[in-house]
Amino acid sequence: MISLRHVTVEYGTGSTMVRAVDDVSLDIPPGESLALIGPSGCGKTTLLFSIAGLTPITAGEILVHDVPVKGPRREMALILQNAGLLPWKTVAQNANLSLLLSKQYPGRTADAVLDDLGLGTVKRRYPSELSEGMKRRVGIARALSTSPSAMLMDEPLASLDTLTRERIQDQFLELWQQHGFTLLLVTHDMEEAAFLAQRIVVLSERPARIVQIVENPHMGRQDYRSDDAFRGVLSELRGALMS
Amino acid sequence: MYALSVGLLVALWTLASVLIEVVRGRAYLPNPIVALSEVVRLGPMLFRHFWISAWRLVLAILIAFFAGYPLGLLIGHERKLDQLISPMIYLVYPIPQVAFVLLLFIVFGIGEPVKVAIVAIALFFQLLVSARGAAKLIEQEHVTSVLSAGGSRWQIYRHVVLPATLPPILTSLRVSVGLGMAFLYIAETSGPARGGLGVYVKETMVYSPPPAFAGILAMAVLGSCLYLIIEIIERLACRWKYVGRNALLVAAERALQRWRSNRS
Repeated sequence: MISLRHVTVEYGTGSTMVRAVDDVSLDIPPGESLALIGPSGCGKTTLLFSIAGLTPITAGEILVHDVPVKGPRREMALILQNAGLLPWKTVAQNANLSLLLSKQYPGRTADAVLDDLGLGTVKRRYPSELSEGMKRRVGIARALSTSPSAMLMDEPLASLDTLTRERIQDQFLELWQQHGFTLLLVTHDMEEAAFLAQRIVVLSERPARIVQIVENPHMGRQDYRSDDAFRGVLSELRGALMS
Repeated sequence: MYALSVGLLVALWTLASVLIEVVRGRAYLPNPIVALSEVVRLGPMLFRHFWISAWRLVLAILIAFFAGYPLGLLIGHERKLDQLISPMIYLVYPIPQVAFVLLLFIVFGIGEPVKVAIVAIALFFQLLVSARGAAKLIEQEHVTSVLSAGGSRWQIYRHVVLPATLPPILTSLRVSVGLGMAFLYIAETSGPARGGLGVYVKETMVYSPPPAFAGILAMAVLGSCLYLIIEIIERLACRWKYVGRNALLVAAERALQRWRSNRS
């Protein structure tokens, strides 16, 4: 369970102080898929980074399995906007990075995950030799390599073309159903949120506050995009974001 | 293309040699064939000076690299250290290092160490400033990537800071070879003569230009060899930079993606 209790995040000091997140409280049960959606620059990435233990909070508390988050935790994997691949490492080295850094998984490699994601033939290539879609999949492979209990994703499919984005969304859905991890997605794409999340938290302009939580109980099918319920959720999200 | 370039240089040199002889009535600038035949004639003696200079220059480069690079990275990556040390660097860096030559002779004496120290100090500042700049340009996303995977401070240096700054620092090192050669000449021709191409060129230039130009050719070979060695090291150590598509195309594609992302 990931619990947020009256979380506030501020940057800077004195006159340059900026409040990015304001009094956010939320419970995310294990295995749930939840999306944080809001206008660009509203503070949703800050909130995600705070949950990941990368950005300290100013007030309130964030608990993971009742333990306060003090820094990055190995059971939570973060996928960054541009996959966060290191250009000087090959695909295999990038995918194995989390395993290498933690040293808790001797002998374990991300080879099987790379094969599952269709990257088996490009393991020795560098990121500059890959398409954008492949780079995102390497980012997923790195995140999956440590079998995390929660997957935090910061606009993981931003700037991809529609077809590639939908293909990778399908893969995300399949992986979430297969592995049962908690999925926490930050996005400004309503369709992505409606396709991948059971609950969608709509955030206000900066500082981010919860405006509305949209339930999305019918998600989970590959053909959900052509469903009336999907369009209904989109309409509800549009209304919440415009309000 | 390389052959054409060398051919053009030889042609320009020959032309300059002929023009000077016509205007001044004496061959102050020997033509390439004369200079090359001097190299062959002076072979062993020139080779001895070549090795003395090469040893000094390589040692100075190594000292400057292993002192300037890590310190520059630390200053560029650790904010408090940057605030403490950068003002000092920016006060000292613009002073022409030649101004310190006399001081170095006083400190190190007139032996071999002072000649290496003069070159090393000049290159040290060059590499320090380059490394600091390179460390400041590291993409935060790469640091976040390692941090989020539970990486320690040391692991950030090992997996991000070092590899990200290696290409610019090696480029800077390559550019510094020219500066190093200039300071080597100053170091070798200052104080008592103890061999080396610099002192050989200075002494022979006075009475006979052809042997002096053989020495200048040897200096050019030394500089080119070091330049080439550093380029080979860069290609081996930074293989990722030389694979894939044209770097310009990649940059253009990224700019287009950012523009699309901003629009959406």
